Amino acid sequence: MGRIVVITSGKGGVGKTTTTANLGMALTRLGRTVALMDADFGLRNLDLLLGLENRVVYTALEVLAGDCRLEQALVRDKRQPSLALLPAAQNRNKDAITPEQMKQLATLLAEKFDYVLIDCPAGIESGFKNAIAPAQEALLVTTPEIAAVRDADRVVGLLEAHGIRKIALIVNRIRPQMVQANNMMSVSDVQEILAIPLAGLVPDDERVIISTNRGEPLVLEANLSLPGIAFHNIARRLEGEKVPLLDLDAPYNTLMGRLRRFFSR
Amino acid sequence: MTCPLVQPGTLGLDVTLPPEWDWTHLQDVLQQYFQLTESWWSPASPVRLVTGARVLSTEQLAWLAELLQKHDLVLVNVQTEVRATAVAGAMAGYSVAQGERPAQAEPLGAPALYLNHAVRSGVEVRHPGTVVVVGDVNPGGCIVADGDIVVWGRLRGVAHAGAGGNSQRLIMALEMAATQLRIGRLVARTPANVAFYPEVACVQGDAIVLHPARDFGRTTPGGVF
Repeated sequence: MGRIVVITSGKGGVGKTTTTANLGMALTRLGRTVALMDADFGLRNLDLLLGLENRVVYTALEVLAGDCRLEQALVRDKRQPSLALLPAAQNRNKDAITPEQMKQLATLLAEKFDYVLIDCPAGIESGFKNAIAPAQEALLVTTPEIAAVRDADRVVGLLEAHGIRKIALIVNRIRPQMVQANNMMSVSDVQEILAIPLAGLVPDDERVIISTNRGEPLVLEANLSLPGIAFHNIARRLEGEKVPLLDLDAPYNTLMGRLRRFFSR
Repeated sequence: MTCPLVQPGTLGLDVTLPPEWDWTHLQDVLQQYFQLTESWWSPASPVRLVTGARVLSTEQLAWLAELLQKHDLVLVNVQTEVRATAVAGAMAGYSVAQGERPAQAEPLGAPALYLNHAVRSGVEVRHPGTVVVVGDVNPGGCIVADGDIVVWGRLRGVAHAGAGGNSQRLIMALEMAATQLRIGRLVARTPANVAFYPEVACVQGDAIVLHPARDFGRTTPGGVF
């Protein structure tokens, strides 16, 4: 049986789908087979980020209705054949599927793949409940903003109440320069509130936007960019490797910078 | 409505379902509540479900029984004002009492509720006695107690002690950085600069004031020193 991991956040726009796409790709590069499950019925985006939009024929709903086999609905990635996507239906809403049906689909996928990553929709309503129902563990994505952290805290409570105890944190879109100037929450500020283990840090980078627009996950690049390395490291940590955290402060932590900060206090 | 969801009753535990809450909200609240208080109730405690005017279906009743069972509590009795709920309860084999709402347990004698778990955003704990939290109360979390509130950790959410109107109650925290403090009918914010020592909030005159914890017993009449 593969591991079923839900990627969730509470707040929207913090990078759940980007994380799912990149993490899935990174895990296949480590030799794993991965199924990505889009749980965002009615607002599906995962296929876009993977550049697989035009190859979606069937969705999870057709599988459940018995209109097609699971294999037919799975979209295999051309670049990484060990990655498959089970798309959500775009023409329906969150109530088109039940938590039991999600469990059923995820269990079927977990029999065939090493990892099943579920891309959770924003919010804590029925879509969220569907997405977390099959999961054994969770990756919580947040950005260093009070609103995102507050929502993430609420989500940790809900995940724990649903019996998901293995929760790890990804802090996305960090801008080290702003953190150094005390204009942004630091990772330790975020961790102090959420109090869950850290799976990784991802710096804010324009290349993330470019890659999502092109439908080519960052981790596919030959020369990995900093966020690409960050996602790759998270995948390695999921695999149980001990990988030190990226030192995002390095370019800003110069002697002059330290002096400037010391005197501006 | 200041209805405590769970309190010690005549039988074991009384679980009261506020009639105006919708079912999915209630599910969330109950799940979180029992998760948080799991280690507190003695194992296999009998539970009386007080449903008031709420209509419960057989499935909903089964869900509740399953939740309680998961936390090592046993549903034995259903107290309702509605015939349909009484029928559902009887069919599922619980003892059923149909009629007026029973008198609530005397709140003052309620034992303290001890939570060894962080109270996270969106969680509200109500208790008719004193609440002790070993862990943080995060921003967005809320504790409402008829007695005192003791937080062995950081208090950054909302705390309301003496919710029944008693202004003699105290709020104590290792780090007092609450969003809001309420004692009895008074409300206060904590200062922007949070002290690095434990503090005690109490009512003096008609205001809530903070004292360093190490001096509190000495300076306050009736203190332990």
